[in-house]
Amino acid sequence: MTKNSSQPIVSRREWLKAGSCGLGSLMVSGFFPNRSDAGLLAPKQPHFTPKAKRVIFLFINGGPSQFESFDYKPDLAARSGKKGIGKGKLLGPLWKFAQHGESGMWVSEAFPHLAKQTDRLCMLNAMQTTSRAHPIAIPMLHTGEFQFVRPSFGSWVLYGLGTENQDLPGFFTVKPTRTFGGPANYGSAFLPSTFQATRLGWDGQAVKSASIRNLTPNHGLTPDTARGTLDLAQTMNQRLLGQTEDVRGVIDSLELSERMQQAVPNVLDLGRETKETLDMYGVDAGATDDFGRQCLLARRLVESGVRFVEVSNSGWDHHSGLDKFKTKAETIDKPIAALLTDLARRGLLEDTLVLWTGEFGRTPDTQVLDGKETIGRDHNAEGYTAWLAGGGVHASLTHGTTDELGYKAVEGTVHLHDLHATMLHLLGLDHTRLVYRYGGRDFRLTNIQGNVIHDIIA
Amino acid sequence: MGRSLFALVALFAISLSTPFTLGEEPQADTPDAKGITLFDTQIKPVLVKHCYECHSKDSEEIGGGLELDSSAGMRRGGDSGSILVSHEVESSPLIRMLRHEEDASAMPPEHKLGDEVISAFEEWIRLGAPDSREETGPTAKDQRVEEGKRHWSFQQPQPFESPTVQQADWPRGVIDNLVLARMEAKGLKPVADANRRTLVRRVYFDLIGLPPSPQQVEQFVADESSEALANLIDPLLDAPRFGERWGRHWLDVVRYAESSGMEFNFTYPHAWPYRNYVIDALNQDKPYDVFLREQIAGDLMPVGKDETPQAIEARRIAPSMLAFGPKRHNSSGTEFQMDIVDDQINTIFRATLAMTVACARCHDHKFDPIPTKDYYALAGIFLSTEPLYGTIKQKYSNTPTDLLSIGPNAAAMHATAEDHEKKIQEADKQLAAKREELNKATEAEKLATAKKTEAEKIVQAKTAAVEEGATVDPAAQQTLDQAVASLQAAANQVVALKSDAASLDANVAELKKNRPPRPQYAMTVRDRAKPVDTKVAVRGNFRDLGEVAPRGFLSAVHVANPPKIDASGSGRLELAEWITSPDNPLTARVMVNRIWHHLFGRGLVASVDNFGMIGKQPTHPQLLDTLALQFIQEGWSVKRMIREIMLSRAYQLGSESDANNIEIDPDNRLFWRATPRRLEAETIRDAILAVSGQLDLERPVGSTVTPLGDQLVRGIPTEKIQPPSNHRSVYLPVVRDYVPELFDLFDFPSPSLVSGQRSVTNVPSQALYLRNSTFVAEQTKHAAKRLLASKEVTDDAGRADLAVRWSLARGITEAERAGALQLVQQIQQTKTEGSDRNIDAWAAWFHTLFTTAEFRYLVDVL
Repeated sequence: MTKNSSQPIVSRREWLKAGSCGLGSLMVSGFFPNRSDAGLLAPKQPHFTPKAKRVIFLFINGGPSQFESFDYKPDLAARSGKKGIGKGKLLGPLWKFAQHGESGMWVSEAFPHLAKQTDRLCMLNAMQTTSRAHPIAIPMLHTGEFQFVRPSFGSWVLYGLGTENQDLPGFFTVKPTRTFGGPANYGSAFLPSTFQATRLGWDGQAVKSASIRNLTPNHGLTPDTARGTLDLAQTMNQRLLGQTEDVRGVIDSLELSERMQQAVPNVLDLGRETKETLDMYGVDAGATDDFGRQCLLARRLVESGVRFVEVSNSGWDHHSGLDKFKTKAETIDKPIAALLTDLARRGLLEDTLVLWTGEFGRTPDTQVLDGKETIGRDHNAEGYTAWLAGGGVHASLTHGTTDELGYKAVEGTVHLHDLHATMLHLLGLDHTRLVYRYGGRDFRLTNIQGNVIHDIIA
Repeated sequence: MGRSLFALVALFAISLSTPFTLGEEPQADTPDAKGITLFDTQIKPVLVKHCYECHSKDSEEIGGGLELDSSAGMRRGGDSGSILVSHEVESSPLIRMLRHEEDASAMPPEHKLGDEVISAFEEWIRLGAPDSREETGPTAKDQRVEEGKRHWSFQQPQPFESPTVQQADWPRGVIDNLVLARMEAKGLKPVADANRRTLVRRVYFDLIGLPPSPQQVEQFVADESSEALANLIDPLLDAPRFGERWGRHWLDVVRYAESSGMEFNFTYPHAWPYRNYVIDALNQDKPYDVFLREQIAGDLMPVGKDETPQAIEARRIAPSMLAFGPKRHNSSGTEFQMDIVDDQINTIFRATLAMTVACARCHDHKFDPIPTKDYYALAGIFLSTEPLYGTIKQKYSNTPTDLLSIGPNAAAMHATAEDHEKKIQEADKQLAAKREELNKATEAEKLATAKKTEAEKIVQAKTAAVEEGATVDPAAQQTLDQAVASLQAAANQVVALKSDAASLDANVAELKKNRPPRPQYAMTVRDRAKPVDTKVAVRGNFRDLGEVAPRGFLSAVHVANPPKIDASGSGRLELAEWITSPDNPLTARVMVNRIWHHLFGRGLVASVDNFGMIGKQPTHPQLLDTLALQFIQEGWSVKRMIREIMLSRAYQLGSESDANNIEIDPDNRLFWRATPRRLEAETIRDAILAVSGQLDLERPVGSTVTPLGDQLVRGIPTEKIQPPSNHRSVYLPVVRDYVPELFDLFDFPSPSLVSGQRSVTNVPSQALYLRNSTFVAEQTKHAAKRLLASKEVTDDAGRADLAVRWSLARGITEAERAGALQLVQQIQQTKTEGSDRNIDAWAAWFHTLFTTAEFRYLVDVL
């Protein structure tokens, strides 16, 4: 595989340079020491030396089954068909498991591509979250809270670290769900709106047709005259500089909008990738096309200096139809494996933290729906599987176990709050110090919970 | 540790079943005497040795809020409630902790105490847990509460002597005196007054949220009378536009919205009457105390003699504020209720008193003297209140309620409509029954047909068997005849039923077609039939109940002669009276501070929604008090207060800087100049529409959410949630999580949160919107057409100038004219088919103006 398999969008050095003479020069402290929003997004020093600089969050929406993917349960297989806790019967894993990589990590045959990536994964088999209901668990996963609207994970990270490429927004969410919190899952709540995500498409829409609003002019002017109006406006803005530093913010944002009109279409243009890369992600190859594009976009965005990217894949709520699990898995398996490979070969994986998780997992027993037993499993918040890769995590590690049947985490439990705390830690942020005062209280992503799990850090 | 303590206490319902008998002299041999001896010899030493480190006044941080170094602290327990039930060993959480039982918080955490020590504790509790310690002053917690009560905002506002100032010719009144005195004390000097053009633009936007026309600007500039500013202000205060502007400020505070938000976001089609209520109340200058009373308890206020039906109805709409908060309609039961109550308490107290009372839901307030018991005293009031938010029963919406019908003949119209619905239901039922009958008859007909066919076969068979000339078997013939007759009867029946069903069907269709018009509806609240006190929910867990909290108000806020809650009512009216009592030290201060905030960009107390211990200190406490007292004395008139402040010299300062002042007070906390302010999202939009000539100043009927009915927002196409509109922005629908794009981009506050203060961001998506969006492109075209049609100007130079006057309320500069003309000519000269280049050219100039900082900021007009 060649290192320069695609055209770099903007090399890191280039935009750093652009940063120093573009943004930097604009940030020469003005007469009024007021807040400028370019400053809000400028890269910030974390609390301590970070191992990860950016995050790719693969949200597997619906509660993917750990029993068909990453949590090997021989006892469950042995007792398949026996009575479970609920009305249904215990259901043995529907796909065979085998051990892979240096550590002999278990992966089911539904994920043949990811099985080859186990030396990069830190498998968390004893995850727990607060609720087994989608409407609670999804906002929990995204904001650490469900009763109230709180800033999303990505907003906190952006608030804590700023962003590296001032030509692009620092936080993207690709095809988020409209339901179960909807925009609140990527919103900034009481944090300044600067920290909210820029959304690309919606769940259910082909990512091919997704775009950022207002990037294309509607005024019918030639680029030259459009630039002319901007220059005129900027000249007028200059006159007001003595009055308020906010004018600096206006000038900066206008300039950035001009740069974004160029940079965003470029970064979103997968046509700049080689055929080899496109094939690796499964772009234009049927079932893998959409998520392949999302994963490739994620790589292009973080490579361009975006701090936090979330991509989503829905349809994992297997109350029934679990016999088609592998077909579903095929839509993401190859793209995710490609993402890890691609990040690694570009030297990005070491400081990019990749999270794969649903809002919860599933039960070892089947469900009885409308009096009929289905080939499916109910929600389970007491024990499920998520994994991390890159960004300073202990690779090739399987951490935590559930009981022999997989109902509940029994050892090495990682609560969702702990996961948030640990990910912030890897990013150089102390989750107890990353606070924002609102309505008379210091708020944080982990509320009053969360412990950093040092065992999963390299 | 705090968390595990919670886990433990969650298992127990705690109450002190036996009151402690402190102060009584123990007799020898009585259990008390034995207990005291046991306490002195075996219990107290253990407490001192193993517990005081984390659980005493001297602890660095008192663990779980539990103080064990005084009998008062021990009796009270910690954040999770009591730890002792005297005489009842097994019910005392303390024992479970000492035993290191599962789910209990193990104490001491590092090691379990010896069995004999634990036995001694058990025995001591059995004896009633007497305590010999002398009380050594208040516990740390009581002390904190006492200290808290001395916090400035809980003290009555005091009148002050106007201070003397050096620059005696500067002040125009008491406000200026107080502002200048603070400046002089810090070595600051006020900058020069703003020029007339700056001032007129500032006043227009501040009062009505719209730019002044060039004529209005010139009129003010030319008015040389000493009353010029008052002449400018007064008509604007009287304009209907005033309520639309200032009403919106209040809608921010009460998190007004037209959907439920949260994970299942349902429309609230009947929230809009409240919006109109607020706008009208501001326009009528309804006294602020009345305005608050109506919103808290308008449904309970006695009807006055000469009141119009409209006034009475408005008062019943006002408590919508308690009904349109964000709600999880998929929730139900106590949890659902408690979350609504929490939102109501949070909103009312932050809006009116700037107190974060809702912090005390799970534990005593960490900073303010608000014990959990106060929270539940208020919760009782709202649990005794039924919010009427409407909604219908459907998937994820469990608990629909009634609504208030409004408008002329509302009650009668509602009753007629409901009767009619019943008729439809009844007719539907009849139709269904008839159809069922018809089905049966059809089945019977089929059966009869089959029987007849069978009988015919038999007759034929028999006939064939006896060969020619033979007679038909009489029995078979008889069966056939009967079958034929039955079929005929069945067929007749079917025909009859079909006709019946058809007529019933027509009846239903007719009924459905002729639904009588419904009245309009509004949200509101009403008292529940049986008002109740509630119990403290330990750690906010409503399944774990502590002591009863009789309905009441905040214990730390002293109001002379507080209203007594009538046991037969919820207590809402009394709460409203308590909040609006002239004695309440917070209410007037909070509101005058909000007004100041809107006129200066910063409150005298910068944290406008938090006057508690960790809110900001007032920069001008005397001024705040003076204004608060004046506000009350002058009948809580918002308009008078605004006018008073606007006529001060402090309000009329320019925005120029000053090197010396910047050094001392860089944030302009002491108001030595006017801080340039960004216009809000609504004002930016309204200003664009005003310039383009497209603004529709009529109030729209209702809301566009109303015809959508009750449904999940996610299923509604965006263009139906936000249909195109040229009405003022305050009338655009506020659907939680789906506010108009421009609002979203320009820091419209989350309508789920109480927001007395908006954030101001400058992000590229705003710039992209102003430069590239369809809305702005269309409006620039309209503006261009309006400009080209104007008779005021005859040449391009004049047009360039007029565009600036419309947009920025000032004349064009030389440099701008040159730039504008160059731009315009360049576009005019490029020939493109299918578009009018002249319009495009002037549209580009408006585009330029709309993108400037000056368009969206209140700055000095240079």
